[in-house]
Amino acid sequence: MTKEEFIAELAEEMEIETTVTAETNFQELDEWDSMGMMVLIGFVSEKFEVSLNAEDIAKLTTFESLIDKIGVDKFS
Amino acid sequence: MAMKKNDLKGKNILVTGATSGIGKGICIALLSQGARVIGIGRDESKVSDLSFEDNKFLFLPYDLNNIDGIEGLFQNNSVAQEKLDGLVLCAGKEETVPLSLYKGDKIKSLFNLNLFSGIELLRIFSKKKFSKDNSSVVFFSSVMGELGQPGKVGYCATKSAVLGVVNSASLELAKRKIRVNAVSPGVVATPMTKKLFSQLSDENVKQIEEMHPLGIGQIEDVVPTVLFLLSDDSKWITGQNIKIDGGYSIQ
Ligand SMILES: NC(=O)c1ccc[n+]([C@@H]2O[C@H](COP(=O)([O-])OP(=O)(O)OC[C@H]3O[C@@H](n4cnc5c(N)ncnc54)[C@H](OP(=O)(O)O)[C@@H]3O)[C@@H](O)[C@H]2O)c1
Repeated sequence: MTKEEFIAELAEEMEIETTVTAETNFQELDEWDSMGMMVLIGFVSEKFEVSLNAEDIAKLTTFESLIDKIGVDKFS
Repeated sequence: MAMKKNDLKGKNILVTGATSGIGKGICIALLSQGARVIGIGRDESKVSDLSFEDNKFLFLPYDLNNIDGIEGLFQNNSVAQEKLDGLVLCAGKEETVPLSLYKGDKIKSLFNLNLFSGIELLRIFSKKKFSKDNSSVVFFSSVMGELGQPGKVGYCATKSAVLGVVNSASLELAKRKIRVNAVSPGVVATPMTKKLFSQLSDENVKQIEEMHPLGIGQIEDVVPTVLFLLSDDSKWITGQNIKIDGGYSIQ
């Protein structure tokens, strides 16, 4: 999966209504609530078998920071 | 009236989930009372500290997701040697998955472990050649069997299905005076909750603690009720769901 595909699929799963890019900050999104976080954790776990904990989530800023957390090498 | 409190000496009990948390606590308590225990789990190294003296503890490594192979376990000579007095179905898995990601295969896999493995074990146990009359079965449901929480569609569904099994099986097996009950713990400090808490913020963990008027439970808060249900002291109790939750569900 490319970074762009990942961002698009995650935005779709989280039902984000605005346009997002790698620079979009989660904190600025209306959809960034406990349900949104749960969807993000579930989606990342399903696609990459990476389990994010509460501390990882608290540290997230942009979509790029999430990609770094998952590991850039996991993207094509 | 002669009272013999929780006399389990010499009883032959099969316990799933024997390698961790509550199930392991039940095995230790049963062994200390002189019962013979057959434990099922996947990771044998987690029970290496349990005493194997006098062949009182038999461990069978087995992945209960494989439902079709369960009957074969009972053909094992040392299991079939003596009929069972009790069955404790403690193996289980907790997972938080938002509904939008809960596809069929994922939810089926949770049902396999939390529900179908228990039904299959009960089916085989219920045959006369494997169980004594007056024996006792204890299923593990959860306060989540009657209540809800976001992200727990799978867990709640499996745990409430367990209560349905208990209702029906208790009637079906009453003819042989076999009793079938459930216990429903609130949050108990075990490896399962450790994993869950690691995914939550400190604030969320505190909220969960505060939802238990008597605080979070310990393994030793749950084990005595299970021993009571396995013993003849509870011989007139069947088809029940006993909540052990520090007051969680009363609010
Ligand atoms: N702790 C709580 O707060 C709580 C609350 C309500 C209800 N409960 C219920 O109480 C029961 C015990 O919980 P616990 O906290 O003691 O859990 P735990 O520490 O996570 O232990 C789970 C047990 O299930 C076994 N198991 C898991 N998957 C298995 C598989 N595929 N095949 C065979 N065995 C498997 C594990 O064995 P291996 O690791 O060796 O595979 C382990 O012995 C569960 O049914 C749980 O749903 C717990």
